[in-house]
Amino acid sequence: MNEERSIEVDRMRFTKNTQSSRMAILAIVFNVLYFISIYKSDVGNYYYTALIGISIVYNLVFMLLTFLCSEGVKNYKRGFSWAMIALGIMQIVRIFIIPAKMHGTVIEKGAQTVLHILNYHIPATMDVAVMGLGQFILVVVLLILSALCLFRGAAVNFKKSRALADHIANLNMQL
Amino acid sequence: MAQLNLQHLDKIYDNNVQAVYDFNLDVADGELIVLVGPSGCGKSTTLRMVAGLEDISAGHLLLDGRDITRAPAKDRDMAMVFQNYALYGHMTIYENMAFSLTLRHEDKNVIHKKVLAAAEILGLTEQLNKKPSQLSGGQRQRVAMGRSIVRNPKVFLFDEPLSNLDAKLRGATRREILLLHKRLGATMLYVTHDQTEALTLADRIVCMSMGHVQQIGTPLELYDRPDNIFVASFIGLPPMNMFDVLFVDGKLRGKGFEVALSDEQKHTLRHHYGLELVLGVRPEDISLGDDISMLVSTNENLGMNTLVHGQMGTSGERVTAKLRGWCSFTGGDLARVKITKMHFFDKDTTRAIRQEDR
Repeated sequence: MNEERSIEVDRMRFTKNTQSSRMAILAIVFNVLYFISIYKSDVGNYYYTALIGISIVYNLVFMLLTFLCSEGVKNYKRGFSWAMIALGIMQIVRIFIIPAKMHGTVIEKGAQTVLHILNYHIPATMDVAVMGLGQFILVVVLLILSALCLFRGAAVNFKKSRALADHIANLNMQL
Repeated sequence: MAQLNLQHLDKIYDNNVQAVYDFNLDVADGELIVLVGPSGCGKSTTLRMVAGLEDISAGHLLLDGRDITRAPAKDRDMAMVFQNYALYGHMTIYENMAFSLTLRHEDKNVIHKKVLAAAEILGLTEQLNKKPSQLSGGQRQRVAMGRSIVRNPKVFLFDEPLSNLDAKLRGATRREILLLHKRLGATMLYVTHDQTEALTLADRIVCMSMGHVQQIGTPLELYDRPDNIFVASFIGLPPMNMFDVLFVDGKLRGKGFEVALSDEQKHTLRHHYGLELVLGVRPEDISLGDDISMLVSTNENLGMNTLVHGQMGTSGERVTAKLRGWCSFTGGDLARVKITKMHFFDKDTTRAIRQEDR
């Protein structure tokens, strides 16, 4: 190990793993963006199901756990990397739950729909896609980004915590 | 390190209050100068002018010959240690020490080396991962010093750094500062109102009062040859005894006592014959003898010495004597003492009357 690298590792004894920590926080941000992007206002009471209830609760749990992970990896604790990987896998799995289910689902909206054409208000019946292609791509990208942040944070923490542990073991041997 | 020249510095505030008058000082490379004086004498203002935290109203400030009178604080290459430490509570000691260098975008590995070196000097290596709240006052002050050391400034400025510490810790930290000065060989300006700090730390002391420099000299010069009554009373603990006396018949006649003078002392005072002057006697220059009576009021045993307070004669002026050993006087005792060394001051000008004034 060259001197620069050695100092870099030694520095970790006194500095936090902010890179991994920030990755975890970024994962939360992407998750929040995902969460607020799945709803559309013109699909009536479509979302009023147990699945959405569970999804809301999971979002809260996800944010809490990811925040805990961000604090854990900040202090080079390796166990939290595994937790981050698990959370990342869950983000990928989530693509196949709400987004996949809602993409392609069409609901029929009745007379309550009103078309506004040249100041005439015409009651109309029309079909509405719960999640169009654009919205589907957006939420999938957000979940993937969230997962990637978690994987990246975990990987960095694995690498750094191992280097730090080896370095401290070396120092202890020298003492 | 650096030479510092303070030339005719004045500080006049916006409300026309003048805090510092015509301050002149040349600080040599590696010198530790202590500015000492009572509260409000202008010593901290002077230090802040040097640091660039106060505008200089008149005069010039030179660092290594370069005029920095109008230079902003950040460009002066000086580091200041404050009384209240000024540490960031949410940062670790390492981060606190590295902070100024991080702001300057120095290489992280270089910062790391500097912080570890400073921590090693100050004995803070084991504390680097702690927060300031987990450290004692002395350790926090060392961190504040460490933050200055890592910058490797040309001049270190200390503004009453030990005032927040208890007496024991103050002594220990004072010795650390002295060791630090010897180790770094740095130019330092140190402000204190504690004359013990001034005497123990300084290469030279600047004694100030009411914005004026009273005397500049080595600790021994200020102690042994004070220029005026203010310096004589300020330096020394307990302070020098001052007596109004009349010089007649080769003797000094005070209220309740008389002191015979040597030929040399008579010669020194020959222009003051028949005049009133002020006699200064340090408590430690009074010893048990047979020249003067002293009516004892209280007796304080300090172990190695005893402070005896009383009056000259039976109804004279107040006097404090620092006698060697353990004494057991009680109030009302009449002790016999002698004066081993005297300082003479002109009553009108308050200036010292010395041999060279002949």
